[in-house]
Amino acid sequence: MIEAKNIVLSINGKTLLNGVNLTVQPGTFTAIAGPNGAGKSSLLKILSHELTGYKGEVRINNMVAASHSVAQLSAVRAVLPQHSHVQFPFSVKQIVEMGRQHFRNAAKYNQELLDEVMELTGVADWANRNYLTLSGGEQQRVQLTRVLAQVWDQRAFPRYVLLDEPTSSLDIAQQQLIFSLVKKACERNIGVLAIVHDLNQAVQFADHLYFMRNGIIVAQGESKKVFTKPIIEETFCCRVNVYHDPCTDCPYIVPERTTLSTLKTESI
Amino acid sequence: MTTVAITWKQQKVSTIIGILSVALVVVALVALSIGQVTIPVKDIVSVVLYKVGLTTQQPDAIHETVLWSIRLPRIVMTILIGAALAVSGAALQGLFRNPLVEPGLIGVSSGAALAVVALIVFGSNFLFVKAGLGMHLLMPVAAFAGGFASTMLVMKIGQQLGKTNIAVLILGGVAINALAGALMGLVIFYADENQLRMFTFWTLGDLGGATWQKVLITAPVLILSSVWMLTYQFPLNAIAIGEAEAFHMGVDVERVKKSIVFFSALAVGVSVSLAGIIGFIGLVVPHLVRVVFRADNRLVLPASLLGGPVLLLLADLLARTLVAPTELPIGVVTALIGAPFFIFLLVRANHKNDFNIR
Repeated sequence: MIEAKNIVLSINGKTLLNGVNLTVQPGTFTAIAGPNGAGKSSLLKILSHELTGYKGEVRINNMVAASHSVAQLSAVRAVLPQHSHVQFPFSVKQIVEMGRQHFRNAAKYNQELLDEVMELTGVADWANRNYLTLSGGEQQRVQLTRVLAQVWDQRAFPRYVLLDEPTSSLDIAQQQLIFSLVKKACERNIGVLAIVHDLNQAVQFADHLYFMRNGIIVAQGESKKVFTKPIIEETFCCRVNVYHDPCTDCPYIVPERTTLSTLKTESI
Repeated sequence: MTTVAITWKQQKVSTIIGILSVALVVVALVALSIGQVTIPVKDIVSVVLYKVGLTTQQPDAIHETVLWSIRLPRIVMTILIGAALAVSGAALQGLFRNPLVEPGLIGVSSGAALAVVALIVFGSNFLFVKAGLGMHLLMPVAAFAGGFASTMLVMKIGQQLGKTNIAVLILGGVAINALAGALMGLVIFYADENQLRMFTFWTLGDLGGATWQKVLITAPVLILSSVWMLTYQFPLNAIAIGEAEAFHMGVDVERVKKSIVFFSALAVGVSVSLAGIIGFIGLVVPHLVRVVFRADNRLVLPASLLGGPVLLLLADLLARTLVAPTELPIGVVTALIGAPFFIFLLVRANHKNDFNIR
């Protein structure tokens, strides 16, 4: 379990996170939603221990995150940032392999595992292609493959995957594919935490949902239960209507049309 | 970089390394054989065998002197320097995630040159120099100190919230290079005729002053630092995706950074102390490897280690033979080849946006 307790983060006198509590259970998919600037990415960076200097405590599998070495951390959690800019022409296979590079000395490199993950995400056919020539969506899928490969092997302890808007540059078919892959990862005792912008997808796939605004958690709980009109309106300051889709047995929202004047004056 | 070819043919690393090793041996033999006195390869073998003590057959006396006292130390030094410059270039390009970085650009060379020039001009006043503590020992130390200090300064300038801002870093390098150049100009004021000639050789590079003594003093440092940088293949690959990503994958990025900057300053600084500033080897060789083969550092680093000496030996061969009996400064030759190639890279990167330069 990843546990964040009472996280407070201030940078240059500005409070970005103010007493955030969050847990990620192994084998489940937790999503964070919230408007731009809510502190979602900062929270993710704290959970991955990329960002330090916060108050509060992060525990990973019951150990304080700060007590892990960089290598130990990489064995329990993998992270997909919003964008990765690769500067040199690597092949797709080389990129994916990097997820397991540091295991090489420990004989945990495991070619079969790499093939399995690449097959699963559908990048196996491009293995020898130049990463720089792929489209944005394809590159994103390759990066996700790399991230999954890092924690894919069954271990005695649960592993975690932290994703920062994994579907931001993808079309709807690709988005569905990515979330199905995420669910597959959950089956391997991997806990997934993702920042998700598309609320309908968040409620459709996530087991647990957090709503964030201005550095605090507005609401959290089982996805379908917290996915309500008042909570969403409070989080996003935007009028929405919530409907029910019988096909997926999921609620979905349609934002109300806003005019510029209502955007400015309305505060809920 | 090979955007034309959609699918790459993946040559085995061992095959490529094998080919480059053979190329190095061949080029080294050619370089040993060609010069004002042409020495056939079989004579090279017999001289070396005689000197090592494996045969008692006395070889041709002139061949022996030319080869053993002049050409062989020069070739060995050229190989060591070529390897040091190319590996440093490859490692720094990988570390800074920028294909345009070379040791010269981030201040290593000019810092080292400034320190050495200052030592040449003012060193004779120092007590320990008067006491006979050789310049041979002091020059590498000064070069390393100067190279390391200026690189650290450039890195500090490029730091932004604990991360390296490449654009600022490169601009910082430009500034430090300009400053070092100006300070060298000031030092020249105090130089006498003799020192001035020494200084000119320095800024253009000169492999001619090789002696066994110099080679033996600096070889351990050059070999150690070059080979040490080879061990960063995996971290550098991860850093190619991004510093944050590398951290996520278990790479202690800050430690890697410090270590590579330290060892490249050591390698380049000592090279500069031996032969002055030799530009473009550190830039061109890693690029050639990436253009011809691929960007994987598991190949780029060892291939640069072998390719650097090959290219520098060839450049030195040209420098020695083109205007014989005199010599062109090696820096002139490498820049004549390197600068057009650099322009080609820039134009190509600009057209294809291949490098994702940001």
